[in-house]
Amino acid sequence: MSWLVLAYVVLILSGFALLYMTFKTNDRRFIYIAVAFYVIFPVLITLNLPTEISPEARQLYDAVEGLPDSSTVMLTFDYYPSTLAETEPMSRAALNQLFRKDCKVLTMTTIPLGGPSIAERVTREMARKYGKTYGVDFVNLGYKANYVAVLKGMGSSIETIYPTDNSGTPLEQIPMMKHIKNYGDIDFIFVVADNGILDYWMSIVNAQYRIRVGAGVTAVMAPKFFAYLSSGQMTGLLGGMKGAGDYEKLVNHPGTASKGMAAQSLVHLFIIMSVIVGNVIFFIDKRKRRKRA
Amino acid sequence: MNVIEFLQIWIAAFFTLALFSFLYKDNPFYKFAEHIFAGLSAGYYIGLVWHAVIQQQMIDPMVNNGKWWLIFPGLLGVLMFSRFTKNYHWISRISLAFVMGNTAGIFLLSELHGKVLPQIQSTMLSLSFNQSFGAWLLALVVVIGVITTLIFFYFSKEHKGVLGGTARVGIWFIMISFGAHFGYTVMARISLLIGRVQFLISDWIGSVIRLFS
Repeated sequence: MSWLVLAYVVLILSGFALLYMTFKTNDRRFIYIAVAFYVIFPVLITLNLPTEISPEARQLYDAVEGLPDSSTVMLTFDYYPSTLAETEPMSRAALNQLFRKDCKVLTMTTIPLGGPSIAERVTREMARKYGKTYGVDFVNLGYKANYVAVLKGMGSSIETIYPTDNSGTPLEQIPMMKHIKNYGDIDFIFVVADNGILDYWMSIVNAQYRIRVGAGVTAVMAPKFFAYLSSGQMTGLLGGMKGAGDYEKLVNHPGTASKGMAAQSLVHLFIIMSVIVGNVIFFIDKRKRRKRA
Repeated sequence: MNVIEFLQIWIAAFFTLALFSFLYKDNPFYKFAEHIFAGLSAGYYIGLVWHAVIQQQMIDPMVNNGKWWLIFPGLLGVLMFSRFTKNYHWISRISLAFVMGNTAGIFLLSELHGKVLPQIQSTMLSLSFNQSFGAWLLALVVVIGVITTLIFFYFSKEHKGVLGGTARVGIWFIMISFGAHFGYTVMARISLLIGRVQFLISDWIGSVIRLFS
């Protein structure tokens, strides 16, 4: 433990040294090295810094937990591979909860690049862990182009929009789909997205079909969607890696997001430190120049 | 771990490091990774659109289910290519007009019912004292924030006097909002870096350790 404390003291001092070098040489690459240190070290040596679970994450967890067992839940994989670090842990945590509750899980994506394969890989891995059977406990609808038509069309008939599942099996041959015809047969929609598609889940599906929608989004997107949360339209929101880490904690399956939060906190401290030091140097310089003049 | 998985991890690690090398300076490894990414994405997208749109949503229903009328949206799609000709580029406007009319019709209702009305409703908060102090304060901040921000975007009168002062308060609310957005953006970018570092350490270096152990 004392070695760990010593290592972190060295890390903080090296951060200061690199910051000093940045200001001295005006070369931003020293900042990159410092950020790399602060990210690599907590990933190498697991450090658990305390984090509080946000009320938005708890609201989403409680909403899903409150569903009767064996409910039908639609889980979307509306994200590109570039944001996997934030979004995949959300999908995994959601599947942990849904499969534990024996929910029937219907997955789909509106993202062409990577979406269908991510949904397939993550859902099958999690299903194997819980001993779930494809076609009985979960179905992957895959990707269909033109998300507006897809979201609107599923209100009338899922089978019209998706005549087959992701692997080409007609929906009429899948046992789970015999009782799921449109949004009326779905109890909750859990959207995991890294783009504005959530807007359409809210304005088309939630507003017109009155289905509860909860979401996990990347941190860049999160501030925009807090408006839906405070208006009561959205049922819970996970924002970025913090939201994913919160949900992992809630479902009691800590994963990559929980592990990444220590690095996240250290980098944030470094950025705050840089802003303060940068401002102090700026004002000292300004005073010196004024005295000279 | 089989050979294919091992190769996948090494290729992913190579491209990750090649892209990160740009942080030092522009170099041939970065350029190579960038071009491969652009080419692969375009190729994958073309294949996917052919399979998921043209094949599944047009050709298959027409051939297998006799839905011959799907030829019309197909033709509208073909008309879009007239943009590449000098004399007949105007024909593409027929398809564009269809798309614009259709989109406007769908979004007019959904935006109104899903966004505009509920968001207006959620900012019309009661400022009466028959609620807890916390709730009252929150309602006051929301009401002042909405009014002053809207006034900042009122450009028909010069921002002077009371109007100018109110608009200045609006700027403060906008700035606080920008700050929150920036904080979340920093968190998002660092998360992506953490994801890549986790991959490099646990998967890539891990694969080498597993190979020798």
